[in-house]
Amino acid sequence: MKLSKAFKHALNMVMHSKLRSWLTIIGVVIGVASVIAIMSIGEGMEQDITSRLSGMGGDILTITPGLSRGRGPPGMYHIDSATATEEEVVLDRTDLQALKSILDISLINTEIKGSVEAYYLGKSGSVTLTGVDQKVWAQITTSEIREGRMLGSADQNVIVIGGRLADDYFDSPLGINKMITIEGSSFRVVGILDDQSTNIYMPIQMAYQVLDDKENDVYDSITVKIKNEDELDYAIETIEQKLMMARHVTEKDKDFTISSSKQVEETRSEMVSSMTTFLTAIAAVALLVGAVGTANTMFTSVLEKTKEIGIMKALGARNRDILAIFLLNAFLIGLIGGIIGIILGYLLSGVLPALMGGGGITGRFASGGVVTIESVLLSLLVAVGIGTLSGAIPAYQASKLKPVDALRYE
Amino acid sequence: MNNRKASNEENNVLIHLENVWKIYQMGEVEFAALRGVDLQINKGDFVAVLGPSGSGKSTMMNLIGCLDLPSRGSICLDARDISRLGESDLAQIRGRKIGFIFQQFNLIPTLSVLENVMLPMEFQEVDNGVARQRALELLEMVGLKDRVYHMPSQLSGGQRQRVAIARSLAVDPDIILADEPTGNLDSKTGRYILDFLNELHTNEGKTIIVVTHDLDLIKYAEKVVYIKDGEIEKVEYT
Repeated sequence: MKLSKAFKHALNMVMHSKLRSWLTIIGVVIGVASVIAIMSIGEGMEQDITSRLSGMGGDILTITPGLSRGRGPPGMYHIDSATATEEEVVLDRTDLQALKSILDISLINTEIKGSVEAYYLGKSGSVTLTGVDQKVWAQITTSEIREGRMLGSADQNVIVIGGRLADDYFDSPLGINKMITIEGSSFRVVGILDDQSTNIYMPIQMAYQVLDDKENDVYDSITVKIKNEDELDYAIETIEQKLMMARHVTEKDKDFTISSSKQVEETRSEMVSSMTTFLTAIAAVALLVGAVGTANTMFTSVLEKTKEIGIMKALGARNRDILAIFLLNAFLIGLIGGIIGIILGYLLSGVLPALMGGGGITGRFASGGVVTIESVLLSLLVAVGIGTLSGAIPAYQASKLKPVDALRYE
Repeated sequence: MNNRKASNEENNVLIHLENVWKIYQMGEVEFAALRGVDLQINKGDFVAVLGPSGSGKSTMMNLIGCLDLPSRGSICLDARDISRLGESDLAQIRGRKIGFIFQQFNLIPTLSVLENVMLPMEFQEVDNGVARQRALELLEMVGLKDRVYHMPSQLSGGQRQRVAIARSLAVDPDIILADEPTGNLDSKTGRYILDFLNELHTNEGKTIIVVTHDLDLIKYAEKVVYIKDGEIEKVEYT
């Protein structure tokens, strides 16, 4: 029998026991979908973390006002900007002085951040402006310059801009030495960063003028570079003590947060990967159950079709024809289940992170699941493989039936 | 008549059973369904195998139809000993040389009438277009041209048996092997089926072997083999 004909008969078998076929297929679908969803969510989270990890210096600490409920990077947790008192908690010169007295710190960068309107050749847009201490920023930032230069100590009305702002944010590209208007003042572009951001960086003193609502010598965040990365924990401890003293607070009413982004992200990455492994293992069990279901269906099918097998053999079907029909039947169940499972898994991987997005481990995970070609091919292969494999023994049994016995079967 | 048959036997033998035994192991007990059967069937014969149930006639039909192998003795089909062949070769012989007609019709319920008739040709890897054409011709011949896309469940018993006949002719086999073909039909439809078989015999020279306990059938047959308790009681030429 030609393979195409065997395939036709296999398909016919699937179509004519619709309910049972579909129940079996659902078993495979659940298995494949959960594997795909979990693998892609895990992959997505890890890519997310890795991309952020690579852009972080291990020796950089960020100090922000307010106390976060854990030691995480800013934005990861809800921050109580106002603690027990209603008075706004800020970072200011006192804190800066306290930090300057710490020997473990080599560089201190103060930053303020705000949203501004930027105009260039008739087009305008709202972008994020970061005022940085231009004397140290170049050494403390992890951003790389693509064109031009970083900010220097003597700079005044100049800015460094993100890659996307330069390339296609405005109607025409914004190049080096071009003038751009920010909140009414003109600035000259001296450097373009090698990233995809629309950020603008300028000397902090200029930023105070541009951002009206910012008070002089009050900082949104302070980043420090410590001298010895190996003594990170010790440095954090020292900074914490000094700042608590300077701010007249105790451990109980601490009103600032020190975060080492890299440390946190690394821990998170480990947690994500072990969680992914664990969940994938559970999903694999679902897939296994699907396989057992397929085998069960196939055994039932063979039993139910015994008489037909006998008829086919009387009509000249060879053992391998019967084998092919039943194997292809199992293959089809695996294939259909696999394809539906992948689609469902893909959809789930888009929906689940949003549902989980409120907080916890996936807090800042925004990029959605990443369905890799590898995971799709792997799941399809596994689904088809498991389907065919679990159909192998029943199919072999079917093919070995003696025609005379099979014909007599009622 | 007998003499003419006898003289033709030498070069015209299609099926030759020689001392054929079929022994079933039933637990501790051995049961011999056939006990040393000798039988010759010639090309173009219309043979009726007659006997009460349990006489061994179904066993003999299974052996002739290459569905089973004898415990002892030899069966030659077209001068080829089939009693030592493997399942694959037997399937090949069944598929090419023998057309089966069963009492239960044995159509595949999930295939349409047309697909049922095409099925034996699919096992022989006949080109799809050719198979389809042939199946349509055969269905026209049995008067079911307007039923080709029906499912077997939508047909009456007589119509189903006609589909089965069309199917048995699909690969143009030398032998048509019918097991109680009229057993599940009323006498009128039964007679139509037998007339049709008779036509095949006279017009196309098919060798027809019918296993039955229907005495009506005897008048169509040229040769009646009476079988009882696993042995051939007598062979009559009509």
